[in-house]
Amino acid sequence: MESDIFRALADPTRRTVFEKLAVRGMNASDLRRGMTISQPAMSQHLAVLRSAGLVRERRDGRFVNYEVDPEGLARIGQWLARYRAYWPRRIDDLKALLKDMDQ
Amino acid sequence: MSDIASKPRQEAEIALEYELDAAPEKVWRAIAVAAFRERWLPEADLAEPEPIASVPGVEVRYRMREEDAPFPESTVTFRIEPAPHGGTLFRIIHRIEGDARRNGANDNLRPMGLAA
Repeated sequence: MESDIFRALADPTRRTVFEKLAVRGMNASDLRRGMTISQPAMSQHLAVLRSAGLVRERRDGRFVNYEVDPEGLARIGQWLARYRAYWPRRIDDLKALLKDMDQ
Repeated sequence: MSDIASKPRQEAEIALEYELDAAPEKVWRAIAVAAFRERWLPEADLAEPEPIASVPGVEVRYRMREEDAPFPESTVTFRIEPAPHGGTLFRIIHRIEGDARRNGANDNLRPMGLAA
């Protein structure tokens, strides 16, 4: 099964679910409130978010609560930070090369 | 030369745009010819030195090396188009590909679709 963060968040319903969970953790029934979505469909979306490492589940008595996975978020943040610093340096080198090259 | 914009479009994507003084043909050689590419984007940073896709004169895509990073792979696309006054509009679109968990939580085998 293919799972990736980019694809997980490309779906508008999953983005809504993820944004709700970013405010606070909740179970699937609470998540469905205000949305026109069946329980199986919600389970499916949560499974995709979980397999992308964006959401994790926590058992709370007889409920399963879902929450944003801080590890998954940290991985995205780490990656972005690294390459936001990386590309401007590469561009400086590219500009220097272009000055050196013949037309 | 000025950097026009620098903003992430998606959480797992970096999109940057630069304006270069050099003509598009010259920028194309700098990004697509290995000997030139090596001088600003070293092979050590790439998963493979050859592009994985290319539209001559327009865009070229490389796979980036991510072995010590939290994601298994990423691809970067360089797109060029002529800018006013003979320069080049240069875009970088860099995104994570593949399964983000593979290097992370070690829970690849966790069953999917548990009861919600």
